[in-house]
Amino acid sequence: MIAEKVEEYAFGGLVAAVGVFTLVDASAIAVRDDNAVGPRAFPYLVGAMLVLTGIATIVATARGKLGRAEESEDVDESVRTDWVTVGKLVAVLVAHLVLIDVAGWPVAAALLFFGAAWALGATWWRALVVAVVLALVVQVVFASGLGLSLPAGIFEGVPLLDG
Amino acid sequence: MDSITALLEGFATAAQPEYLLYALLGVTLGTAVGVLPGIGPAMTVALLLPLTYTLDPTAALIIFAGIYYGGMYGGSTTSILLNTPGESASIVTALEGNKMAKAGRGAAALATAAIGSFVAGTIATLLLTLLAPTIADVAVQLGPADYVALMVVAFTTVAALLGSSPLRGFASLGLGLFIGLVGTDTLTGQQRYTLGVPTLADGIDVVVVAVGVFAVGEALYVASRMRHGPIEVVPVGGKWMTGEFWKRSWKPWLRGTFIGFPIGTVPAGGADVSTFLSYAAEKKLSKRPEEFGKGAIEGVAGPEAANNAAAAGVLVPLLTLGLPTTATAAVIVAAFQSYGIQPGPLLFTNNSAMVWALIASLYIGNVMLLVLNLPLVKIWVKVLQIPRPYLYAGILLFAALGTYAVNFVADDLIVLLVIGVVGFFMRRHGYPVAPLVVGLILGPMAEEQLRRTLQISEGDPGALVASPFAAVTYGVLIVVTVAAVVVRVRRKKADALV
Repeated sequence: MIAEKVEEYAFGGLVAAVGVFTLVDASAIAVRDDNAVGPRAFPYLVGAMLVLTGIATIVATARGKLGRAEESEDVDESVRTDWVTVGKLVAVLVAHLVLIDVAGWPVAAALLFFGAAWALGATWWRALVVAVVLALVVQVVFASGLGLSLPAGIFEGVPLLDG
Repeated sequence: MDSITALLEGFATAAQPEYLLYALLGVTLGTAVGVLPGIGPAMTVALLLPLTYTLDPTAALIIFAGIYYGGMYGGSTTSILLNTPGESASIVTALEGNKMAKAGRGAAALATAAIGSFVAGTIATLLLTLLAPTIADVAVQLGPADYVALMVVAFTTVAALLGSSPLRGFASLGLGLFIGLVGTDTLTGQQRYTLGVPTLADGIDVVVVAVGVFAVGEALYVASRMRHGPIEVVPVGGKWMTGEFWKRSWKPWLRGTFIGFPIGTVPAGGADVSTFLSYAAEKKLSKRPEEFGKGAIEGVAGPEAANNAAAAGVLVPLLTLGLPTTATAAVIVAAFQSYGIQPGPLLFTNNSAMVWALIASLYIGNVMLLVLNLPLVKIWVKVLQIPRPYLYAGILLFAALGTYAVNFVADDLIVLLVIGVVGFFMRRHGYPVAPLVVGLILGPMAEEQLRRTLQISEGDPGALVASPFAAVTYGVLIVVTVAAVVVRVRRKKADALV
């Protein structure tokens, strides 16, 4: 409960902070002439809105009105937050974006699928097989069918995989 | 009668085998993503955007419209058969439909949902056909100040009516408007909020934001509190269609249609609101109110029809004014824009052939959806049972792929991840994500119209309310807002007394 409240304050604070940034940075936007409605006016409105809603959420939280977590078919509201799994997924996504340029899309994609499925509880070898097959199939479809080629990386020059 | 000729020409186009295939692809994908938890039509359209650049705009829009309609059909199958309903637009269906399924009357529930969706979808598309050209004719005369007024209405209703907390809705809208500001100002060429990063100079792509907030945000959120154990699907039992089935269903279908369509047309919260209203109406009119809550077929037939009619209604402001009032509609506007087409009053004159082919494909798509969702429902039950680790791993993979395919730079994936994390926290704390997407797409359009208004008036803000249309619009908005606040306060007082 307390942790939830801290998070709620933090998100409200973030919204307000984005608003402050919007307002401060708006004054740095160069205005060419003295026309009243340049590129600054709308950002001021948006910034004010963010600051107001951010502060209002913080006040609401202090008065005990917390946001209601969204319902979803696959979400069990009775269990505690599993931060480890969330962390694993973020890590896998980071690895994916780093690997694309280094090892190529097929490798990065297979790792993303395998890592995510495994983190979420799939049997490791089955997840690995599906990941490799899926990554290769998508690579071939892109290279041959759609005319958009994904970086082949380590498969450079391999027919079918390198578009 | 011009529009009837135009519609017939539209049918001639849409009935070509190639376009029929695209429509089939769209409705099939739409049903699949509607059935599957974790992905919705908004995200699917966003993901497909970069992949459809090679298609002609008519084909792409036919696919997207199919996904939009299909998502509505698929969602009801899930809420009837899955033990753990979610997704606001089908909550009401789950209320009665799920009870029916558990009582061994799943077949009748699925049938009334699918046929009701078909009846409502077809009538609502017909109303769209009749109304849209007329509204477009009137809308041509609207000035920039009038558009500002309409957009203010759209912003307010989307932010305040979706989700449990209007305050958080506005915060979400603000975040979307802010993301829309990032990039180069179209009127002066100034860079705004780019922090000097070249990737941000062209702005943050709609695809990246929509996919981040829907796909990555949802996947992280599910991962944080995943429901473990087997996926329990209620077996489909009972008779499909009996005499009593038709007798009890047809009136709720029609009532649902005429509740849903206007609510979708006037930007007033879209499908969710209409299903609740239809449910309340059916409960009140029923001769057997005691059955409600235990599996009353009227409680499935009405809301499902309302749901689909509202979806078609949303297309009216979308096509005639260029105003999106739901997240999916917003992404479809982005799709139009990516082809250099601005939806709005001129669409019916400038891109007449395309619009009518699109509308014709809606009729065709509805027929396809009826076939896909009634006789073939067993297939969707199988789709529903995809093990969740694979489902969410697949969602993440295609999210990353769709984002990467926009510009083929890995930097976009950093933006995707950041927005995904924001989407995750928004879900945890009850911030609706739809206002963010609507704000992102409508924001730049609103700014342009606002600046144009003030340029013409030489900075006099009075110009914003000078036109009668704008003045009336703001007036109605104020009255409705005050009424909503009064209702809310009264309800709170009543709750406090109990």
